Amino acid sequence: MRRSQRRRVSAGVRYLVLSLWAIIALFPIFWMIATSFKPDTQWFAWPPVYFPHPPTLANYLNVWFGAEEYAATQYAISSQKPLVSLLNSSVIAGVSTLLSVLFGSVLAYGVSRYHMLSETRMFQLLILRMIPPIVIAAPLSLYYAALGLLDSRIGLILIYFLTTLPYAVWMTKSFIDEVPRELEQAAEILGATRWRTLFEIVLPLIRSGLVATFLFILILTWSEYLLALIITKTNVTTLPIELSKYQGTTEGRVYGRQAALAVGITIPLMIVGLIIRKHLARGFSFGMVRR
Amino acid sequence: MNGAAVLAASIPLQSSSRRLSRERAIRRFRWAILGPFIALLVSVLLPVLFLQLYFSFHQWTVYLGSWWDAEYVGLDLFREVLSDPRFGWAIVRSLAFATGSTIGCFLVGFALAYLMHKPFPGQALYYTIFILPMLTVPVVVAYTAEMLLYQSGPINDLITRMTGIEFKPMWLTNPDIALPTVMLLEIWNWAPFSFIIMLAGLSALPKEPIEAASILGASNWRVFWEVQLPLLRPVILLALVLRFLEAMAEFPKTWALLQGGPGTATETVPVYIFLTTWQYFEISKGAAMSYIVMLLMIVVVLLAIRLLRREKRSLDAMHASSAAGEEPAP
Repeated sequence: MRRSQRRRVSAGVRYLVLSLWAIIALFPIFWMIATSFKPDTQWFAWPPVYFPHPPTLANYLNVWFGAEEYAATQYAISSQKPLVSLLNSSVIAGVSTLLSVLFGSVLAYGVSRYHMLSETRMFQLLILRMIPPIVIAAPLSLYYAALGLLDSRIGLILIYFLTTLPYAVWMTKSFIDEVPRELEQAAEILGATRWRTLFEIVLPLIRSGLVATFLFILILTWSEYLLALIITKTNVTTLPIELSKYQGTTEGRVYGRQAALAVGITIPLMIVGLIIRKHLARGFSFGMVRR
Repeated sequence: MNGAAVLAASIPLQSSSRRLSRERAIRRFRWAILGPFIALLVSVLLPVLFLQLYFSFHQWTVYLGSWWDAEYVGLDLFREVLSDPRFGWAIVRSLAFATGSTIGCFLVGFALAYLMHKPFPGQALYYTIFILPMLTVPVVVAYTAEMLLYQSGPINDLITRMTGIEFKPMWLTNPDIALPTVMLLEIWNWAPFSFIIMLAGLSALPKEPIEAASILGASNWRVFWEVQLPLLRPVILLALVLRFLEAMAEFPKTWALLQGGPGTATETVPVYIFLTTWQYFEISKGAAMSYIVMLLMIVVVLLAIRLLRREKRSLDAMHASSAAGEEPAP
């Protein structure tokens, strides 16, 4: 085989393998979206229905807006309130993430410029994230019960803030490390306090890094399941918990409704993830891999 | 600018007192940042760890009245947990699950990254598609899997149609394959993680050694094994270690999909602790189990951290050299 021929063959193999995985990656997402538009007779049909025919908005209207006329009695789900959960999820994920990034970046600045935490301490900080949360779940819920934080937004915000802090510190530190120090030295000579230097020079310089960190941590807090399951009961359910309530209803499987809810939970996350796609490697590797 | 010059000139005159006040200011700054952080850690984590220790040594469940009067039972609970074969099997399952899914994620992620690390038409589109599974909420993955995997569901239907052979495994109800099924879901969900990390690693590799090797006539295969792979070691270890630790803690998919069933086939450590505490209400046994798992995981995490620390040094060196190589270009 000539060289150019061989190259064409290897390019063909590459596209084949990549497309194969692309199909594997997309099919479940396609199925979820397709099911959300299916009328109830097609959720569970044999042979399986691949494209909703005809597509219907009934699942969305019923699940998200509680439109009764679309709720065939058999599938009626009355007590759940996805819009309330959406609000809870937004507030809890938003506030805890904001706190995490704000506090994390201040701490990261201290570490980067004043060695506030030694390298050993920085790595020990990772323990907060790497120990499975299940091992503290029970005592945490009892402690929260004693403090009156059980089933409250503040309780979840607090624990999300603590468990995402290592990501925030490490990721923002990797951005701060890349900022040249000359500007800060000039500011110090001109008499600016450290706080002013931090908030008016350093943080504005890493603005896009802060946004990336915020969105990255939002992915984690938005989809968290275990702690939300344990700490929330009825008042402040988040969206992932709301979704699991559609499981095991006595009426049987309600795939279409579940899918309509699942799409609503997933789409914001995908948008956020695609916005920061260039920074995902940095985020997940605690800033150790940079690009 | 005048002010700066005056300031700079005055430094040598009163250097010692200035340095002292500067040091004091830095110390104040340090405690203003670290203080609240330490206070928060202490006020949340310390009581939690104390409670966990307390329940590990006191027999209590929700039916037994106030927990602070619980009976002290010494090491009984630990003895009970350590002689519980279900706990042993849960650990085995968790290890098998974490190892299998970590290797699976890595192989898929690495293969994709290797095929994609040089620019080609369509690269950005494939990248976008490949990271989507990672951006799907884990519970959503679980429920979507249920819609896909029931016995006469679309996956079995598609495979039957494509191969022409009747293909009807019971992915979720056959105890022999339920755990591998969850493992496949974990791989689908998190192979993108290994993919993006490996892609970043491959793109950051220095070009010179690879070019030098191929000029000297080394085959692609040899360049891969003897040049690229050794240079990639830190990134590979990072991807493996982080994925393994996350997989050890995996809960949402296993729980939402199967609650440990069928039988105990998917009862991993997090699921068993959850069942013990919130379904059987054996709070104390759950606490003792948590304690043992926590200690084991701390050992594992400390070992992992040691490894990460060593590899981070070589990563930083690599980034520094590639940054230095890029600088003259623009």
